[in-house]
Amino acid sequence: MTKITTENYKAEARKAIQNQVLQRALADLQNRFGRGTAECYRRLPEGPGLRLKAHEVRMQTVENLDVVLETLAANIRKNGGQVFFAEDGQAAVNYCLEVAQRHKVSRVVKGKSMVSEEIGLNDALIDSGIDVSETDLGEYIIQLAGETPSHIIAPAIHKTRHDVGSLFADQLDIPYETDPPRLTWIARKALREKFLAADMGTSGCNMACAETGHITTVSNEGNIRMSTTLPRVHIAIMGMERVAARLEDHDMLLRLLCRGAAAQNMATYVSYIGGPRCARQADGPQEFHLVVLDNGRSRILADEQFREMLCCIRCAACLNVCPVYAKIGGHSYGYAYSGPVGAVVTPLLVGINRARDLCLGETLCGACQDICPVNINLPRMLLALRTKLAEGDTAWGVTPADRKEKLLFQAWSWMIRHRGLYDVAVKLAAAGQKLLAPKDGMIRRLPPPIHGWTKARDIKPLAAQSFISRWKKGIR
Amino acid sequence: MSTANQEEFINRIKLALGKPFSEPRQKADLFSREMSAESRAILERIKNRTADDRKKLLETLIEAAGPIHLTVRTCVDINAVTEAITEVVRNKDPEWGDQKRVVAWQHPLIESLNLPEALSEQGVPVFFSNVNAPEGETLRQRIIDSYIGITTADFCMADTATLVMRTRPGQARSVSLVPAIHIAVVELNRIIADLKELYALLKWDPLESKEGVTNCMTFISGPSKTADIEATMVHGAHGPREVHIFVIISGS
Repeated sequence: MTKITTENYKAEARKAIQNQVLQRALADLQNRFGRGTAECYRRLPEGPGLRLKAHEVRMQTVENLDVVLETLAANIRKNGGQVFFAEDGQAAVNYCLEVAQRHKVSRVVKGKSMVSEEIGLNDALIDSGIDVSETDLGEYIIQLAGETPSHIIAPAIHKTRHDVGSLFADQLDIPYETDPPRLTWIARKALREKFLAADMGTSGCNMACAETGHITTVSNEGNIRMSTTLPRVHIAIMGMERVAARLEDHDMLLRLLCRGAAAQNMATYVSYIGGPRCARQADGPQEFHLVVLDNGRSRILADEQFREMLCCIRCAACLNVCPVYAKIGGHSYGYAYSGPVGAVVTPLLVGINRARDLCLGETLCGACQDICPVNINLPRMLLALRTKLAEGDTAWGVTPADRKEKLLFQAWSWMIRHRGLYDVAVKLAAAGQKLLAPKDGMIRRLPPPIHGWTKARDIKPLAAQSFISRWKKGIR
Repeated sequence: MSTANQEEFINRIKLALGKPFSEPRQKADLFSREMSAESRAILERIKNRTADDRKKLLETLIEAAGPIHLTVRTCVDINAVTEAITEVVRNKDPEWGDQKRVVAWQHPLIESLNLPEALSEQGVPVFFSNVNAPEGETLRQRIIDSYIGITTADFCMADTATLVMRTRPGQARSVSLVPAIHIAVVELNRIIADLKELYALLKWDPLESKEGVTNCMTFISGPSKTADIEATMVHGAHGPREVHIFVIISGS
């Protein structure tokens, strides 16, 4: 199973903030993609309002997911494909291992897929003695470095050309090189051999189409086409929500996906795959398997507060505008999904208490919803998660995170409802703050139990006179 | 495979949605059974396209092709295409090894180019991607050894400069993928406006819908690219490094 390190959020965030190279890369990324995507929406013939319509269509599918998935499975089987429904990551991994063993697979090429990160497919295949190659350039770099992706679309964003150069020199036994086109060509050459020698290819699924019985894969590099065309077996793994009912739904969804992911009107490659090669066709896999994964999604579906999260098409647009992601990078989120989408979906998948810092860390500024191609209200769900952490929740097995905080707010709420008491408290605080020695007009450190507030920021002292007392004295 | 597994899975979804297990579900509102007025209008529009309309689409295509490093050339007839391809073969060197070989789809339009004859002058062999490769040589190896792959396309979407290609016997998918250069030859009347038109055709046009999406339909918009190293755009990550579209403007 894949490693979950959501508990290290704060420590990892601190490290990321101090990493100047990463800070520059993240700023560049957001400048290009964040702005580019917003501009792309404005240029849509239907305007940015198309996002609202897309939300409706996604929601309708999610609310009829039983029928939609049954239709998808039936149509894929009709075309000679095989469909497996996996309750959790382990079931999905086991199925893939079974297929690999049945076909005596020794080499696998993998198209980029966040869901296979989620279930830890790579490690499982490697543990059973299979050679697994990542084929997306970014993921290939990450694999050679023995790391995990830090962005859904740009997994190696934290690596410089110098990092990549020395990595390739070390691992591929070639001279040190820092020119991105040359480095890309080196990887092209190394991976071409992998593609041609592979027995099995794996991929994710960007958006299936139920009524025609196809999955779609979207890429710019062509690695997913290679992985799904050349090996004799193809396994695609999809989160159960990544499906549209009708072919025409793909019109707006594909256009929005490409704009959200990379500010493109259309990705270089989009493939509709509906089964293995047919009689007299010269290429394509001899077997096609689709694994539909639940892994906690039905639990999200059951809670109307969070159902909306299943509209997500994993484009990563929200990462490219999030002020928190911009500073702490993807690794801090401790799971396959980072940024605002990770801050909501990871707690729901791995446990709200366990991933509490993720939803507490976001700012609620709303940029993620504004850029979301399907207009998911992420800030609302972040708040809902925080409520669960404050109040506890039996359905999600959440224990209240911090009783002290709750007590403090209860006391505060009681005090501000008692005018006289409040005035006295403010006067006391105004007098008492002199002991805290404000510097440059700011207090650096508050006393317990509210010292946490000034751990990472200063606070302005109370004014010498409150507004209400000045008002009473007639000072306007 | 285990359908019991599937039933359990689907029942979990029904439970989550608060829907009764046994009740048959209404599919009509999810899947369109009848052509909508919008789709009808789209098909009408495509059918009634004038030569002028097509020229405009071609202009849109050329405009969209620029930023994605895709070359679009217009050719007055089949002979002009053959000449243009001959020129590409002459000017471009193979990426792997030094033997120039070309692989092409077995398709009436491509066969009418008479490429084996035209390229024999340069001593460049042309293979067709039919399944009947001669003894001892696999088609797969022939495609791998070729540096140019030549196909046509079912459609070309002007809006995004996208080739739409369906797989059929004789029309292998790797021809547009494995060789370093991909050339697509399309007739002017295969240019459509956008995804909306494509999906309407695939779903409701009597001829196109019969074949439908097929087991593999691929959209290609320009050469393969990546920006994974310091967000620097590089063409030719895994797929072709160059894509050329030759549009035949006569007779359409």
